[in-house]
Amino acid sequence: MRSWMKLSLRARLVSLYLGLLFLSILVLSGYSYLDVRRLLIYNTAIRLRAQAKPVIEQWLFPGKSGASHTRAAAHVPRRIPKLASIARPLACDLTSRDTAALILDRNGKKLANGKRLPEEPSPPLPDPAYYRKALAGKNEVDYIMKENEKLLLVLLIPLRAGAGKKEIMGVAQISTSLVPVHRIMVRHGIVLVLIAVITLLAGGITAFLLISTALNGLRQMAHTCRMISEGDLSQRVNLPHHRDEIGSLADAFDHTVERIEATFESQRRFVANAAHELRTPLTALRGSMEVLLRGAQDDPAAVTRLTQGMYREVLRLSRLCEQLLDLTRLDVSSNINKQEVNLDEFFEGFLQQATILGRDHRVTLEKGPFVLVSADRDMLEQVMFNLLHNAVRHSRSGETITLGWRLVPNHVKIWVEDHGEGIPPRDLPHIFEPFYRGVSRVYGNERGTGLGLTLAKAVVEAHGGRITVESRPGKGTIVAFLLPLN
Amino acid sequence: MESATRYRLLVVEDEPTITEFLSTGLGYEGYDVEVATEGQTGLDLMKKQEFDIVLLDIMLPDIDGFEVCRRLRARGYTVPILMLTAKKEITDRVTGLDLGADDYMTKPFSFVELLARIRALLRRTKGKKKTTRLKASDIVLDTETREVTRAGNPKHLTPTEFALLELFMEHPHRVFTRETLLNRIWGYNYIGDTNIVDVHVSHLRDKIGDRPSRMIRTHYAIGYAFYPEGEP
Repeated sequence: MRSWMKLSLRARLVSLYLGLLFLSILVLSGYSYLDVRRLLIYNTAIRLRAQAKPVIEQWLFPGKSGASHTRAAAHVPRRIPKLASIARPLACDLTSRDTAALILDRNGKKLANGKRLPEEPSPPLPDPAYYRKALAGKNEVDYIMKENEKLLLVLLIPLRAGAGKKEIMGVAQISTSLVPVHRIMVRHGIVLVLIAVITLLAGGITAFLLISTALNGLRQMAHTCRMISEGDLSQRVNLPHHRDEIGSLADAFDHTVERIEATFESQRRFVANAAHELRTPLTALRGSMEVLLRGAQDDPAAVTRLTQGMYREVLRLSRLCEQLLDLTRLDVSSNINKQEVNLDEFFEGFLQQATILGRDHRVTLEKGPFVLVSADRDMLEQVMFNLLHNAVRHSRSGETITLGWRLVPNHVKIWVEDHGEGIPPRDLPHIFEPFYRGVSRVYGNERGTGLGLTLAKAVVEAHGGRITVESRPGKGTIVAFLLPLN
Repeated sequence: MESATRYRLLVVEDEPTITEFLSTGLGYEGYDVEVATEGQTGLDLMKKQEFDIVLLDIMLPDIDGFEVCRRLRARGYTVPILMLTAKKEITDRVTGLDLGADDYMTKPFSFVELLARIRALLRRTKGKKKTTRLKASDIVLDTETREVTRAGNPKHLTPTEFALLELFMEHPHRVFTRETLLNRIWGYNYIGDTNIVDVHVSHLRDKIGDRPSRMIRTHYAIGYAFYPEGEP
């Protein structure tokens, strides 16, 4: 069984198919062979019987017989003769070109032999078991026996004492060689074997081709899989479109790899961008430290400037770290801790932070109606903080920044509006991409991490909401998000 | 070196902390540094002023560094350009160099290496403008042959003493703290007592016969400074 399982699927299918084909051919042709043989023998027996019947009747029941024209009729007496007296002519009449005859009495003693020439072989004595059956009155006893390496069909016909009488005087044995039947059967067998061989060959070749074509797709997929596992995600099976099972499997496989490759690519880009974002603060830190160590440490003004810059970069690094962690945390929805948030109360608290962050700007709140939303309070605060931070960095000091909420069908809409320089239309489709940097001007020293909007979008979507941006260059930007109401 | 040949560098970079340390650090090394935070302002500055080297960042808010480089070369400027970027892919470096940049450094880079590359670029483009012989009163120091003579008499200095004297002669009047001397001569990773500086300065004074004239002067509780004309 183990070596069977070691074979390829193709070899197994082909050999299974061939095995079944062979078995059915074997059964069918075997059955047909035996049946034809039986039929031929049966026919021979019937023919012999038909030949023998009038002869026997003529000798045993001369009055009844209508066969007066036969050769024997002339000297047959009209009364029922004694068996011994008619045995010899009866045997001779029963013997023909291809049959031999024996007449036996009730004790199995040979009374007469139909043999005419001495060199002709004598017919064998009957098999005692069959002989007893014939004596018991069974009319049609025939069997096959082997004599001198040749098959003989032997018929035993009980000889009755008169028409309709039960008494049996003896038995006539008629035998014929089965060589002609055997010859026909050999020919028939050869034809059967030829047909079987041709069928098996044709079946084997078609099965091999059919299964090969069918499994070719699988082999191609295995090959592609290996290439992919070696790291080449651009590989595809690319089977010509068949509507069969393997074709649809290949399609599904290609589609899956497509998705995986896209995910990998975006992951790779994300990591590359993250590394790039880490490099800039690291460069600033390393350079500032080297400059300090090389002598700037002796100048208090330079020390202040450089350490302030370093402090800014360290803050940026920690912010970046936190936002990266937040993003990974958002991938698992169970990390969202939803609770009922009263927006009135939430914004009251947030406005205090907002006025600190936007101390150079005029931050105002447009309150909406009382509403409870189901949201993670900390995450909501983080989103608002990121949006406000963007608004502050992209508008001049003294300008107005408006926060607010209002009800729309089934949702509450929360927005942050600034009157800064706006976002150029070509940047708009990309601003939610991680680390995307547009050409917009940044006021002040503080650089963003490039993850604020990405994070905001992820949080809003994790709450089942949507985030949108409207911006007109020179006029300002409105970032709004919808949270579902239950 | 504190002569009329102060080199002028232009830094085109939008990260404030990076421009801060570059202008401070390069200023300390004796360069005049101008900063442009956008590609366009950098191009405008170059139209108006002469620079010896341009340090060019690639990720700029308006036009990127590659484009700045291409436009400069298209206008026929031959000023050496040293590109600074966080992009590490070879194609980026090749693009930069093919567009006419002379050298390339990836962030985060070592400031010392940046200085070395700037010196190399200056040597290549300005020929042998920088002299290898430093002179202060009757002391002559040759940075190439590493010979020191005082009034024609050769003085045999150890490498540390030579480096100390070279630093002093390159920056006359500047006061170096013992920490700075330790960092610059012994390296940032040297961990040890600053007394070693005093020991070597003392040996140096002995060897160049500085005892009576006092060109290397001790500033108490601060460090040392070098006065070519002797202690005032």
